[in-house]
Amino acid sequence: MRGRNRISSAVIAMLGLGIGAGAWPLDAPGGDAANGKRLFLAIGCFECHGRVGQGGYFNYQTPTLAHTALPLEGFRVLVRMGLNDMPAYKEQVLSDHDLADIHAYLRSLPGPRPVKDIPQLNP
Amino acid sequence: MVDVLKTLDLEYLAMNPASNFRGVHEAVINYGMNARPEILTCAHEEIAFSMAQGYAKIEGKPMAVICHGTVGLQHGAMALYNAWCDRVPIYAMIGNIVDADKRLQIFEWTHSAIDPAALVRDFVKWDDQPASLQHFAESAMRAYKIAVTPPMGPVLLSLDAELQENPIPDRDRLRIPALTRVIPSVGDSAALAEAARYLVAADNPVLICDRMARTADGMTRMVELAEALQCAVVDMGGRMNFPSRHPLNQTGSRVAVIAQADVILAIEMNDLFAATHFLSDRIERATRPLYKPDTRIITLGSRDLFIKSNYQDFGRFNAVDMAIAGDAEASLPALTEQVRRLINARRKTALDARGKQLADAHHSLTEQIRSSATIGWDARPITTARLCAELYAQIQHEDWSLVGTGINVTWPMRLWNFDKPYSWNGSSGGSGLGYNAPASAGAALANKRHGRLSVAIQGDGDLLYVPSTLWTAAHHRIPILYVMHNNRAYNQEYMYLQAMTNRHNRGVTNAHLGTTITDPNVDFATVAKGFGVYAEGPISDPADLGPALQRAVAVVKRGEPALVDVLTDQR
Repeated sequence: MRGRNRISSAVIAMLGLGIGAGAWPLDAPGGDAANGKRLFLAIGCFECHGRVGQGGYFNYQTPTLAHTALPLEGFRVLVRMGLNDMPAYKEQVLSDHDLADIHAYLRSLPGPRPVKDIPQLNP
Repeated sequence: MVDVLKTLDLEYLAMNPASNFRGVHEAVINYGMNARPEILTCAHEEIAFSMAQGYAKIEGKPMAVICHGTVGLQHGAMALYNAWCDRVPIYAMIGNIVDADKRLQIFEWTHSAIDPAALVRDFVKWDDQPASLQHFAESAMRAYKIAVTPPMGPVLLSLDAELQENPIPDRDRLRIPALTRVIPSVGDSAALAEAARYLVAADNPVLICDRMARTADGMTRMVELAEALQCAVVDMGGRMNFPSRHPLNQTGSRVAVIAQADVILAIEMNDLFAATHFLSDRIERATRPLYKPDTRIITLGSRDLFIKSNYQDFGRFNAVDMAIAGDAEASLPALTEQVRRLINARRKTALDARGKQLADAHHSLTEQIRSSATIGWDARPITTARLCAELYAQIQHEDWSLVGTGINVTWPMRLWNFDKPYSWNGSSGGSGLGYNAPASAGAALANKRHGRLSVAIQGDGDLLYVPSTLWTAAHHRIPILYVMHNNRAYNQEYMYLQAMTNRHNRGVTNAHLGTTITDPNVDFATVAKGFGVYAEGPISDPADLGPALQRAVAVVKRGEPALVDVLTDQR
């Protein structure tokens, strides 16, 4: 239990840095986003995070992943270890190469649009 | 018997017809003229009981349901369990043939039992099998009184067929006792005063509420207390407790506000432990408190007054510093008055500053949520955020009521302005599928006389349990808009199974087996049309959704049910 908490804290710290004020440089594009999309749908990521990374709801809200600023290494640690209710994806079911492709897919997804451009969100 | 039911002013009697209550059935339609109660014809007992649950939460009083004592009650038991977990009164009756000498063919034996209520006794508040008509009259009054006394719950009367059908030899001797309702208990005044002292002195008090509002006054009382304290409110959504756009509503920041709390007042909680703990359902299940070790926790509610042992719906035991027994809605005026008395001018300045900070946090979170809703705006399948935004765009200027949702209530609560006591009708209670469609229809029936526009966001898995709800809605002209959240899966289970495949690091691509509803895809619009309901869909292009909803809303405003099937992403 204690060990897992330490790992989770490390992952959280990494996630926080990645999303924060640009302390981590964005990775150079390298993965195959098309293959990443195929994998994202095939291995169940979309069930919690939505097909276009919009986030969702499991036992609580699940994170948005579209246009993630999380660097590949942080993403890899998170996926390998899992976080909160997220199951861990080990190397035996998801290679580092495939993991990089998923990361590329998420990076390719558009993030939020300006709310003012959408009348239905401006009642 | 019908005279007694009329005395109770039961508006509806939901049923699927059955031989062992044929006596009451005939008397209701011919002696009672099918009015108060009026029969609602259902094609499954689960629908009848769930309609009663949804109706009671809007109307504030029970609906009657009657069914076979054996086969019908077994069909309806799941819905009765939901109502029990949700603390909702249902006036349930069953038919039985008590005297073996009177049972004829084998089906009258299979439809009889020594103690038919035993099947559901764990999840009804009270039951009886009257031996005479006078006994029935008295037990009928007692049952109603028990059902509507907080904590409320379903009750059940077993009606002997002989009692229903035989001539009444001594009519002049029979009397119907007056019904006197129990005045809901108010928490101890000294305890409320002590709670008020803690709340006023606290730097960061938090109010958490769940099944608090039981009448139209409940939300107002909750707002009065929160505004007196200028403190954070976390609404767990069991009832329409607190306006979604009130600046003190911090439900979206539950974890953060509980982590900062020095005093928590938990009001009519369903599951205090889950509300105040971080729960990890990953590999080994684990929990830890969200609150600080020295946070003072006070509970107020009727939950501690009546608990049964077998089914574990009471949730995990949570140690608290003070547990005040009493109906919260009845107790809040006294508590709020105590709070106001303790706030002097200096304290009020500090509380107002806290309120301003909370309002700023509420505003920031709202902006963030609206931005999040734009992600995948044009995606196919349609995102649940867009579905909710499009639906709200069509109903926001109507007197709407969200009577059920199969996608949790997070997106609607975050995007819509819930500000009326009937804006939201709570959820199932027992999380048993097959609730949302019929309970929404029951709630819509209650809304009908008020001219409200009832809408339900309807999960595909739930509707497949009880599709003939649509026929009942069409037959009884119940105006309700069902918007299908058709993700073609039992997605909660899909996610659970994914976690299991990962646990063993095998078959991570197989989680769809047994959890998805595809091959063939269900054409819900065609299903609905077959039941006589206006329907459109499946809608796959998000640009088509708004116009389809607009047409369906027009149908509902004419007094009929409508369904729009929308192909959606998972959640």
